[in-house]
Amino acid sequence: MNLGIFVSDYKLCVDTLDRIKADKLGIILVLNGVYHAVLKEDGKVSELLSKTPNLYALSEDLATRGFSPDQVDSRVKVVDYSGLVDVIFNDFEKVAWI
Amino acid sequence: MGKLALGVYPGLVGSACYDFSLKLAAAAADKGHKVSIWYSGNATGSVKAHQKHLKDYSTAEKYLTALLEKGVEICTCEACTIARGIQKPEGIPGVQWNSMHWYLAAIHSADRVLHIGGE
Amino acid sequence: MGDVKCAFIVQRPQYKGETSRLAMTHALAYQTVEILLEDGETVTPTLCFVGEGVLGLSKGQKAMEMYGITSSESHIKNCLLVDLDVFVCKEDLEKFGIPESTLPDAEDMGAEKQIRVVPFAEIQKAMEEAKHVLFF
Repeated sequence: MNLGIFVSDYKLCVDTLDRIKADKLGIILVLNGVYHAVLKEDGKVSELLSKTPNLYALSEDLATRGFSPDQVDSRVKVVDYSGLVDVIFNDFEKVAWI
Repeated sequence: MGKLALGVYPGLVGSACYDFSLKLAAAAADKGHKVSIWYSGNATGSVKAHQKHLKDYSTAEKYLTALLEKGVEICTCEACTIARGIQKPEGIPGVQWNSMHWYLAAIHSADRVLHIGGE
Repeated sequence: MGDVKCAFIVQRPQYKGETSRLAMTHALAYQTVEILLEDGETVTPTLCFVGEGVLGLSKGQKAMEMYGITSSESHIKNCLLVDLDVFVCKEDLEKFGIPESTLPDAEDMGAEKQIRVVPFAEIQKAMEEAKHVLFF
């Protein structure tokens, strides 16, 4: 399965995400999900970032929360809405919002 | 170009998910993709016309009107909408009213479906 | 395009929110979608309950008496009556200590279909086989 998963929360998503297996998994961080890309809770980066190399965060949602792209973990590709449309159509066969 | 079917369930006020869906729909339409939006649950409250945009609250009408002008198909769940006290003549012109099978039909022809469930 | 398979994954419990109920009512709409499609075209949802989504499925619900709303039990029974595949995650039932025997059937309505309690791996397979995956 080639699946891009939208994560829009910081805390409420991990249970479902942990169980899904995909040949190619993408994690697309939007809304409060972008905190996974910038926070170091108790000094540690989010475990979500180690689940796949295909990580994206929405620039508009980072900016809304006062973050700039240079604060984002280097593994995460920052995309704007236009770039997000390309991710949806070009990078994954299915997308899901958990 | 592809077809994107969006299903949006969270309410306009109180969830940024709704605002996200508007921006995504506009970006996809601007890139030439066909876009449809299905509103169900609390999202259906957003199809009422004559919304006043108070700056502490999200607003939908002007964005929905712009999306309709771009060719985006927008449909609200009739049952969900009338359950919230909104009658069809009060709706934003151009927004369709239909039953849940409208969404399934949109899914049938879609290349990608992004279903933003309620909270 | 023939049949389009969809996996409806319900991950939130019934009743407090509306989304898990809407998964069932939207799944039921597969019966009438043909009026908007060409001949031979269909949409087939598989309704899957996982995580806290397995809460609120028990038989004996009195939602109509208590709150004046259709119970999830009733919706489930209607789903079975129209031959939808309904999967409930075995591991999650066990985790919450919910016996399989508490799940409803729709034999009294004449349904042949029954809820299938399956390992998560089977639900994963349903997601893989589906063209689209929708989380409720």
